Amino acid sequence: MNERIKGLYQEHILKKSKDETFKGVLQNETHRLEAYNPMCGDKYTISMSIENDVIQDARFDGFGCAISKASTALLTEIVIGKSVEEIKPIVENFLELVDEHGKREPEEIFEDDQLLAFAAAREFPERKTCASLSWDELKLLVDTH
Amino acid sequence: MNIASIKSQFPIFKQQTPLGKELVYLDTASSAQKPQSVIDAISGFYSGYYANTGRGSYWPAHKATTTFESVREKVARYINVQSKDQVVFTSGTTDSINKLVNAHVIHSLESGDQVLVSEMEHHANLVPWQEACKLKEANIKAIPINEEGEIDFEALELLLKAKTAFVSITAISNVLGTVNDVSRITALAHKAGAKVFVDAAQAIAHKTVDVKTWKADFLAFSAHKLYGPTGVGILYMADDLVNQIKPLSFGGGMITEVGIEESGYRKGPQRHEAGTQNIAGVIGLGAAIDFVDTLPEFELHNHLNELTSLAYELLSEIQGVNILGPEERAGVISFTVEGIHPHDLSTFFNEQGVCIRAGHHCAQPLMNKYKVPATARVSFGIYNSKEDVMTFIKVLKETKAFFE
Ligand SMILES: Cc1ncc(COP(=O)(O)O)c(C=O)c1O
Repeated sequence: MNERIKGLYQEHILKKSKDETFKGVLQNETHRLEAYNPMCGDKYTISMSIENDVIQDARFDGFGCAISKASTALLTEIVIGKSVEEIKPIVENFLELVDEHGKREPEEIFEDDQLLAFAAAREFPERKTCASLSWDELKLLVDTH
Repeated sequence: MNIASIKSQFPIFKQQTPLGKELVYLDTASSAQKPQSVIDAISGFYSGYYANTGRGSYWPAHKATTTFESVREKVARYINVQSKDQVVFTSGTTDSINKLVNAHVIHSLESGDQVLVSEMEHHANLVPWQEACKLKEANIKAIPINEEGEIDFEALELLLKAKTAFVSITAISNVLGTVNDVSRITALAHKAGAKVFVDAAQAIAHKTVDVKTWKADFLAFSAHKLYGPTGVGILYMADDLVNQIKPLSFGGGMITEVGIEESGYRKGPQRHEAGTQNIAGVIGLGAAIDFVDTLPEFELHNHLNELTSLAYELLSEIQGVNILGPEERAGVISFTVEGIHPHDLSTFFNEQGVCIRAGHHCAQPLMNKYKVPATARVSFGIYNSKEDVMTFIKVLKETKAFFE
């Protein structure tokens, strides 16, 4: 295996793709994201309860590749306890992080290693949608909330 | 057959991938690579005798028209139909089905009629029929397939007890590789009074399309799966249907006399070919048929079968690999690997220069049937070798090891 691909499938991403801590559906769901890529069939739902503009809790469910699963699991983990306003810049940053045309260097965008791992998607533009699938939906939500 | 010499006719294999690997192309079921002769035929037309067809009475127009029309004859012979005038050029299989449905099916379907497709159809051979049935309040049903991924003929006979207008079936599944017994299906359908459309998109590269034996009423294929160019295909219509059904599209070239309120339409395939045709595409299709004609039929089958059997056998030996569909199949193997999503697989393969397909292969109902969201798929063309299969298996094993 070469170094490039090890970068994409590094420990952080593989581990996250198997992390089911926040898997499930919330009983008291108020908002739901449906992230679906009809080209490949990857499909996730993210169940959230938002009160006073704060995401009190969130869960994800669905199936897809390691990259989309890891990015969805991480998204779910990150949004819990944050306000919609706090999430907005994180979403923007994440989408720039995985974009091969992103202006800033990954290290200027995030410090967290788990997030930085996804910068490898810049090397694999055909896999960018895997990394951004759920985040694109989250962006729609926070932009219109 | 000397595969190395055949492969050398495909210029794409002369270069390496951006990562410096030999290109191992295992996605011919999606689209085949092009031999130099096809590329030359297309550029030869543009640079040597370019003009519109069926219009000008000057030299390049004449040559363009005769070359274009000669392809109709080649197609007629290649798929074994009575007359070249039963062959209409379209832009591909999907276009053929849509045009047939819009021009003919929606006018002949009656409310309450039944249309049968199968559970293994490509979306192209499902969604247009679905739309027609919605519009005409007809019922669309799927002929079930059994555990092995083969048509359930008992179920088909039962389904045909209801008044059935059309049966639309693929000759070879693009996911399972199943080779359907088309003759048996047409016999049953015709006995029940239904017309049969055959999707020959996959079968066409196997040199097995035989309209006379199959007794298909309609049949379509795309040139690009036959080592020919994109954007061109054909629709075959049996008997005199070419002259009986409404034109597939309207405009220049397909008319006799035109008034402001009424027009008359030509006879023959030109009746359906409105507007400037994909002339270069059709000429490329002719060159593709010439190319395939140079490959002895028996050896072509043998070669593709050998590669498929070898890949099937080696895949079955790998733990955690699950193959969909029957053991006996034509050139296509879809599989899943426990714990590795098909897209992750295909990224690993790409790093090694190996092109495999991942996804639902435009057959979501079939994916639902097998309860998988997606599969990985390899398919073989005339340029593939045993070494390609060995590389594929080696990379699969490495990838598995990485994920474990
Ligand atoms: C069985 C089958 N039918 C129809 C099609 C559609 O062909 P096209 O995309 O050339 O119109 C395909 C192509 O993948 C196919 O495999």
